Amino acid sequence: MAPFLKTLFSDVRNIAVVAVLLAIEIVLVHTGYGREATIVVPLATMAGVTWLAPR
Amino acid sequence: MIDWSIAVPSFLTALVEWVEAFTIVLAVSLTIGWRGAIGASLAGLATLAAMTLIAGRVLATGIDIGWVQFVVGVFLMLFGVRWLAKAMARYAGLKALHDEALAYEQTRAKLTGDWIAGWTIAYKGVLLEGLEVWLIVVALGMRATSGMGMVSSAGAAIAALLLTCAAGAAVRAPLRQVPENAIKFIVGAMIVGFGTYWTMEGIGGPEVWPLSDWTLAILGAFYLLAGLAIATVLRLRMRREEVV
Repeated sequence: MAPFLKTLFSDVRNIAVVAVLLAIEIVLVHTGYGREATIVVPLATMAGVTWLAPR
Repeated sequence: MIDWSIAVPSFLTALVEWVEAFTIVLAVSLTIGWRGAIGASLAGLATLAAMTLIAGRVLATGIDIGWVQFVVGVFLMLFGVRWLAKAMARYAGLKALHDEALAYEQTRAKLTGDWIAGWTIAYKGVLLEGLEVWLIVVALGMRATSGMGMVSSAGAAIAALLLTCAAGAAVRAPLRQVPENAIKFIVGAMIVGFGTYWTMEGIGGPEVWPLSDWTLAILGAFYLLAGLAIATVLRLRMRREEVV
C-alpha cells in the first residue's frame, strides 16, 4: 500500500507545495483577483518547483 | 481524429514508465523465466485496464465536471511538480540520472529465486509504473470534448507499450538509450501546465483563462523554459562551488 500511495501522492514536501499553490489559487480567484492569479500562480508554481528540486 | 495535444504527452509519459517497468520485468524473467514474467506483466496491465474502465464509467455518471477537473488537476499538479523538480535536479547535477542498468541490478539483487516473490515483483513493477500512465491517460483523456480524448490518450499509451516491448525484445537488455530526463523535463512541464489550467478552471470556471485552450501551450512553454533557465543557473552554481 505504501508504494501505491507514494506513487499517487509522493512525499510530504510535494504535497505541501501543491497545497500552498491551491490555497493561492482559491484565495485569489474567490477575492476577485482571477486575472492576477493567471500570472501569480505560474510564478508561484515555479518557485515551489525550484524549492523542491534540491530536496 | 486523433487529438495530438493529448496523444503526445500521454505517449511520452507512458514511454518513460514502460521503459522502467520493462527493466523490472527483464530482471525478473532471468529468475522465473519469460513465461512467468510476461504472465505477471499481463496481470498488471489487466489491473490497469480494469481501473481505466471503472474510472471511465464513474466519470460518465454525470459528476459535476468542475469538481472532476479540480480533482484531476490536483493529481496532475502532484505528478507534474515532482517530475519537473526531479528533472531540474538531474539536469543541474544535484541528483544522479536514472540509470536503467543500475535499476536492473537492484531488482536482480532483490530476487531470491522464489517464483512467487519474482512474479509479485514483476506484477507490482508493472502496476506501479503503469499507475502514473493510468492517471495521465484518464486525466488527459477526459479533457477533450471531441469524444476522441480517451481514445487518443489510451491509444498513445498502448503505442508506447508496443514500442517498448518491440525495442526490449530486439535489445534484450535494459533500454538505456531512452533520454529519460529530457522526456521527464518536457512531460513534467506539460503536466504542470495542465494541472494549473484545470485547478484554476475548476475553482473559477472557464472564464478564468481568457485565452482558453491556448493558455495550455503558453503555460507548458513557460514551465519548460523557466525550468531550463533555473536548472542551468543551479548547474552553474554547483560547478562554481566544486571549483572553489
